[in-house]
Amino acid sequence: MEGPADILPSTLKKSVVDAKLLLVGAGGIGCEVLKNLVLSGFKNIEVIDLDTIDVSNLNRQFLFQRQHVGKSKAKVACEAALGFNPSVTLKAHHDSVMSQEYGVNFFKGFTLVLNALDNRAARNHVNRMCLAAQVPLVESGTAGYLGQVTVIKRGVTECYECQPKPAQKTFPGCTIRNTPSEPIHCIVWAKHLFNQLFGEADPDEDVSPDTADPELTGDAAGSAALSEPAREDGNVERVSTRGWAAQNDYEPRKLFRKLFNDDIRYLLTMDKLWQKRRPPTPLDWDTLPDAVAGSSSSSASDSSLSDQRLWPPAECAAVLERAVGRLKEQLAARPAGDHLVWDKDDENGMDFVAACANLRAHCFGIRLNTRFTIKSMAGNIIPAIATTNAIIAAMVVFEAFKLLEGRLDDCKTVYLNRQPNARKRLLVPCVLEKPNPKCYVCAEKPEVTVRLDVSQMKLQALEERVLKAALNMVAPDAELLDGRGTILISSEEGETAANAPRTLAELGVRDGARLRCDDFLQNYELIVNIVNSTELPDGQEFEVVGDASQLQPAAPAPAPADGEAGPSSADAGGSAAANGSGNGAGKATTTVDDDDDLVCLSEGEDGTGTDGEVPTATTTVGTPAAKRPAQSDQGTPPAKKRRALSGSESPEVIEL
Amino acid sequence: MSASPASNPKSPDISEKNKKYDRQLRLWGDHGQAALESASVCLINATATGTETLKSLVLAGLGSFTIVDGKIATAEDIGNNFFLPSDCAGESRGRSACRLLLELNPDVRGQHVEQPLERLLDTEPDRLQAFSVVVATELTDSCLSRLSEVLWSHNVPLLVARSYGLVGSIRLQVREHLVVESHPDPDSVVADLRLLQPFPALAAFCDSQQLEAMDRAAHGHTPFLVLLYKALQRWRDEHDGAPPSGYREKKQFKETLQQFRLRTADGVPELEENFDEAERAVNTLLTPPSVPEAVRTLFASQQCNSLTAKSDDFWVLVKALHEYVENEGEGLLPVRGPIPDMFSDSDRYIQLQNIYREEARRGADQVQRRVHLLLESLGRPSDVITEEQVRHFCRNTHALRVFEGTAVQQELRHLRLPANEMAAHLQNPESEMVIYAMLRAAERFRSEYSTAPGAEDDQVETDVIKLKACLSRLLSDWGCQNTIKDDYVQEFCRYGGSELHTVAALIGGCAAHEVIKLVTGQYAPIDNTFIYNGISSSSAVFRL
Repeated sequence: MEGPADILPSTLKKSVVDAKLLLVGAGGIGCEVLKNLVLSGFKNIEVIDLDTIDVSNLNRQFLFQRQHVGKSKAKVACEAALGFNPSVTLKAHHDSVMSQEYGVNFFKGFTLVLNALDNRAARNHVNRMCLAAQVPLVESGTAGYLGQVTVIKRGVTECYECQPKPAQKTFPGCTIRNTPSEPIHCIVWAKHLFNQLFGEADPDEDVSPDTADPELTGDAAGSAALSEPAREDGNVERVSTRGWAAQNDYEPRKLFRKLFNDDIRYLLTMDKLWQKRRPPTPLDWDTLPDAVAGSSSSSASDSSLSDQRLWPPAECAAVLERAVGRLKEQLAARPAGDHLVWDKDDENGMDFVAACANLRAHCFGIRLNTRFTIKSMAGNIIPAIATTNAIIAAMVVFEAFKLLEGRLDDCKTVYLNRQPNARKRLLVPCVLEKPNPKCYVCAEKPEVTVRLDVSQMKLQALEERVLKAALNMVAPDAELLDGRGTILISSEEGETAANAPRTLAELGVRDGARLRCDDFLQNYELIVNIVNSTELPDGQEFEVVGDASQLQPAAPAPAPADGEAGPSSADAGGSAAANGSGNGAGKATTTVDDDDDLVCLSEGEDGTGTDGEVPTATTTVGTPAAKRPAQSDQGTPPAKKRRALSGSESPEVIEL
Repeated sequence: MSASPASNPKSPDISEKNKKYDRQLRLWGDHGQAALESASVCLINATATGTETLKSLVLAGLGSFTIVDGKIATAEDIGNNFFLPSDCAGESRGRSACRLLLELNPDVRGQHVEQPLERLLDTEPDRLQAFSVVVATELTDSCLSRLSEVLWSHNVPLLVARSYGLVGSIRLQVREHLVVESHPDPDSVVADLRLLQPFPALAAFCDSQQLEAMDRAAHGHTPFLVLLYKALQRWRDEHDGAPPSGYREKKQFKETLQQFRLRTADGVPELEENFDEAERAVNTLLTPPSVPEAVRTLFASQQCNSLTAKSDDFWVLVKALHEYVENEGEGLLPVRGPIPDMFSDSDRYIQLQNIYREEARRGADQVQRRVHLLLESLGRPSDVITEEQVRHFCRNTHALRVFEGTAVQQELRHLRLPANEMAAHLQNPESEMVIYAMLRAAERFRSEYSTAPGAEDDQVETDVIKLKACLSRLLSDWGCQNTIKDDYVQEFCRYGGSELHTVAALIGGCAAHEVIKLVTGQYAPIDNTFIYNGISSSSAVFRL
């Protein structure tokens, strides 16, 4: 090739040719970055992505076409780029970057790592791998019209985890199972129901009435009405939901009667719950309304797309019937013991969730939503467009150039705004922050404080939900620093399995205990300080405090960037919950399924529209609250203007 | 597949398309998508910047594009343009790019015209009228000036995109751009729920709500709008009919509101979330409604007050709206319709929703009637503006905006900014205005010497001197005494007029963003020049 590369200074040109890059993610940003790299003269690139291509990727992931749907993103992207420039060495890994195969030595093999990811867990992981391998990382993300790029270098800049991220929204299990009051509660319930019936059944995702609701306990009168014996864990003794459905051959009307009539009647017997609430109404298949309450017929047909039309309850039942029939067939087509995986882009799974969520909402007098809106909420969909990705991907390559020239001082965090801000900036560069000395990831000797109830939390929960889910370890070992070096958790299969069901207190973990937790893959050692607490807010199971001296972390929260009247969908709900029940009842946690490309350094939330209105984005890109502008002419600090979504904290995006 | 048509009216085709565009439909809606799908864009010259712009539009489902390009693809073109295959050297650049761009999306139609723009302007300039937007790259000043003139006269938006080494720019020329959905900062938009001037249906509903007769559940689930209404009635009884105004009174009003709360036997107020909501809304919702300043400006504008048969539909709608406000509206815009989320049982929430929706429809119907009369008086068929258009317009009366641009042709002839203002910009060596001056100087160089500064390796030293001369003549034309650092001149000569792919990709992304804003009529476009400086990762927007 001649020409373009001549623009680069000659020293940089050589670095570009010699550099070996790892591109993590071949989605919206990844496709653009790969193209830019190949056309900038890079010769040696490895691409890793776990995903396969979906139809909804095609509006922006331009290396893919209709005939590629279902194939590996990494592989197809590399093939397409090679077709353009066969002289480049590209290697595709159709795999999770969190897999054990990609250890610190793998990362050490690269000059730079470029992240083009879509979820926090993988970002956290790559952050740690790059810190451990001492490889600079360019991090990027987009959400709708917004985007950002930043650079992470161990010991010099903030790492991805230096600033606490806002916690995912969670809901108490009893709200989901017994007393929903918002559409999102019904949607979470419907997703759980899908998993109970067709997916990987998780005991934390029970959908039946919860007799261990804290509102019932402490008052014998409430439980006196119960006609069935409650098990110790609060779940009514019964065959599993899946077993029950199978026995009844997934007969839709029977399922319907059980879920929307029998279970509702059962809930009504817990009269304590309904003293201050509107009690739910059991539904009857044959007498469901076939019009949306109070809605005149013309407004219902405003939109010709059934996706954006509100289904009356009778239609929900019809959709449910059809979806159950098809899902049953899909399940039957799988090998015995296998299960379906819910995907917002799978038509039947989405129909099922939309129909069930609305039927449940109808029972509880909660307003119904269109399938389009429910899809946003259930799938935590972040809008994504080609233009934003193109801009951000170009910025990624510019930061990579600077790193290769050794100009780390010139690297910036750059934010892309929706429209030029008050100071006429569309792209806003900010100086990179110094590492947070108290960061529980990149500090010299990282420590973190976790508040929990040692007499309630089981070791298994500590491993799965604290160390893995919240602190993002992959395969942790944990040692109690009690002077004897008691090993609580071993990453060796089976070695400490016997500990799993025991509570921390039983294992000798008390208030003030210190645990040394170690993840070999991430080359990451963390001291976890335990603070015993029986009073956690909102029925949470535990709380990661980070720096113990600041029990309330100054969390940079995501900000709504756009949009008019997002309904309560703002809480987007990948969902889920720490169940507040006091008797060791099932605690529920559900992971968020992020959409592709997206999600910035702080995650965005989903966007939906109010019914009949333009679907407006309530997308967000969070920015740490105190970035310094890089430009000297910026004058006064940011005027902060953002609107809070209903019910959520008012966060801020900086406008310079 | 045994779906009955009744329960699944979607044709498989629509469904597939919806899936493909799902992630963007959530940003600009079906109507935005429909506008995009009926738009046609003309690209002048299939440079990397040009094809990167089209790429994002084609992926998004643009209706059609036409590439006008008389050039033959060179090795350099191929080296930095993803949409020129490696074996196309010596072939028509426009044809090759057209073919690869079409592979991106089977829904999009595309063609190419194998001739330079100059010839098209000589022979059939009217052909350009048909486009929704023209995107121009790689044009000389003289050619750009002619194009600008033609498009300005036909009111076709022109977007000039340029990437030059590590810097780039976008210049938007729109004579008049009318935006129904500008998406103003939500903070600046006051919800218009008419609590201070309730319309009959709202008053009737609120009056029908007997708080005293409700049980606890119903009381605690009464929409907060009703609570505010009731409290307002009581307040007015006690204050000679005047609503609370000012901080002190609103604070007192909150106490009035508290009187409606349920209390326990000991007189402690019950926890009722709907009351909390009502209290929070006091500051914003009890502001007397008025016609926003921006909309009043539209009412007063000449386009609104001298409609002709050729007036844009937008102005007919504005005129009809103005007449409505002066008559049935009694000084107010029609109710927009949507109500905020609130703590409520769904029956009453839906009733309330319908009351507002019905009122919004009533207003829109009256505006529609006026639209018909206006169209008739203009001698136009009364159905050219649809009911859906009127409703959409009425829902967005708070967001109506008009942008009036400036012509590129004028900009090339003389500086619109006062000389001292420009000089002040140039004083700051980090100002993007310096980049603008350099880009203009480089174009002047190209016009004078028919090549880019530094294009030939052995000419770089002479070109530096020549470019400096171009720059100082430009500055003196502008009446500025400034000097610009030699570093910039050296740097620009080093670029040799080449496009760096990454800059082209960035400028292309930004340019496509603007085209989408223009064709969907959503969001405010840049006004009117965007400068990107890849040396410092900074950017700025200027009105030139």
